[in-house]
Amino acid sequence: MALTSKSTADTKPRPALPSRWWMKPGRGSVSWLELALLVLCMALVVAPVPHSYQDVIIVTLLWGGVAIAWNIAGGYAGLISFGHAAFFGIGAYTSTILLVNYGISPWLGLWLGGIIAAVFGVTLALIGTRLRGPFFILSTLAAAEVVRIGALNWTSLTGGAEGLWITPTPSIANMVFASRTAYVALVLGYAIFVYLVSKTIERSRYGLALFAVRDDEDAASAAGVNPLIARTWAMAASAFLTAIGGSLFAQYFQFLDPTHVVSPELSFQFALLAALGGLGTAIGPVLGAIAIMPLSELLRSYLGAAFQGLHLAIYGGFLVFVMLYLPGGIASALERPASRPRESP
Amino acid sequence: MTILEVDRLTRSFGALMAVAGVSFTIREGELVGLIGPNGAGKSTLYNLIAGAIAPTSGKIMFQNRSVAGWKPYHAARAGVARTFQIPKPYRKLSVVDNVALNALLHDKSMAAARRRAEAILADVGLADQAGNPSTILTVGELKRLEVARALALRPTLVLFDEIMAGLTRNEVMTMTTLVASLPARGITVIWVEHVLYAIMNAAPRIMVLHRGELIADDTPENLVKNPGVIQAYFGEETTFA
Repeated sequence: MALTSKSTADTKPRPALPSRWWMKPGRGSVSWLELALLVLCMALVVAPVPHSYQDVIIVTLLWGGVAIAWNIAGGYAGLISFGHAAFFGIGAYTSTILLVNYGISPWLGLWLGGIIAAVFGVTLALIGTRLRGPFFILSTLAAAEVVRIGALNWTSLTGGAEGLWITPTPSIANMVFASRTAYVALVLGYAIFVYLVSKTIERSRYGLALFAVRDDEDAASAAGVNPLIARTWAMAASAFLTAIGGSLFAQYFQFLDPTHVVSPELSFQFALLAALGGLGTAIGPVLGAIAIMPLSELLRSYLGAAFQGLHLAIYGGFLVFVMLYLPGGIASALERPASRPRESP
Repeated sequence: MTILEVDRLTRSFGALMAVAGVSFTIREGELVGLIGPNGAGKSTLYNLIAGAIAPTSGKIMFQNRSVAGWKPYHAARAGVARTFQIPKPYRKLSVVDNVALNALLHDKSMAAARRRAEAILADVGLADQAGNPSTILTVGELKRLEVARALALRPTLVLFDEIMAGLTRNEVMTMTTLVASLPARGITVIWVEHVLYAIMNAAPRIMVLHRGELIADDTPENLVKNPGVIQAYFGEETTFA
């Protein structure tokens, strides 16, 4: 009964392609690459690093975490979003308003911000059901602008363009710390948490269903997967995790205004980190953030004042280089099998 | 016992009646061929049964339940599997995961689903491709992947759509044997095929669709003598050799 490829003329046995050693032991366990990154990050928390570099580390880890969250919608479910700054901003404003106006600890506020952002994300996914490709992307951009303009004009709640200050009374309950090292540890914890959620989804049956919906909605539907529900949950999870990142950013930066936390530039940056690192794998956005955030921050601090605009030109050139030579992202270059398969004639 | 009953099923796209008042009954354990010239409405009929589109009018009864207008995922969960005429692999997933996703409809763990997927891939002759990305498969292999995915759903009714196109003669023979063995495993089969020698040998009953209407429903021996069928395929004044 069984068809064997020996009986067929056009197929030769092609064994599974070997993978690179740093991606091993592979599925179901922690790879050498992940382990190395974890050790590096832990070392950065305890190492005596100058303040300015600690800022770079914090931004890298925080943006990396948000990029992982973005990737759950954009990379896993194919819901490319240019509106994630809206979720980021909702998280930042929710926890900050609760802290400043009602004295509620950000440790509680960040969950509430996450829930509000998730509800907003679900609404966005449902409204965008009939939109595909570029039209969905534009709808997310527009939705984020609605949030930004709302935050700008609802001055009684958000302080409008003047923004909100978190008066620093350092305490664990207020999530305000005197030393930057505590913030490094905090955002590292966030990045690890988001990574673990992402990795869990990637390996689960739900993750497989998401990938299927992304790759071919008709086929996934014929396999018993309800595409709308799969996509909506992905957007909810992505928005929730992004909002937590927003709360942490507010606690670290201790000031927020709509231009800083809900700008389209921020949305683009989250998407960019994930896309350059590699869509669709948990490790991709991590690599993207590590490659790009320090570069962008250091270029700005060293060149920003001396040569106006030069840092942006170098940064842009680097992005073009990555997109030209690693179109599948940095992760795809690392994961690329040791020998390329030859197409059979 | 009847598994599928289609009654005066109609679907129009604007002025075009793609399926026009089609009625037939399929019994459990049957292997029924469905043939017809290009544009006869075969794929539309499949899309109606599998829930990809809703009928304009008419009834579809699956296991004595009215299912007209259901969604593809309802169909899959109820036990109706289909293949796509143009293969629709999940391009970024490995071959085994392509099948494992469908196996997850019934298997509760990823490990169990992957084991089942491996076994089904062996059945269709794709075992040595399991770990490879689906993008490196040939057309014939993609067709077999479609069959593997349909079987992974553990269906009671399967709708095959031109699964032999692009296969070598040897592959057609072995695949025909596989399809013919399905009724004995409790899987009812409807099979659209342009590779006529395969379907004429394997299917004891063949329905012919022409311009949206069912013009014949008979044994292969009688079909080749049916003037209406000959006319639909070859035009008038032709004798079937």
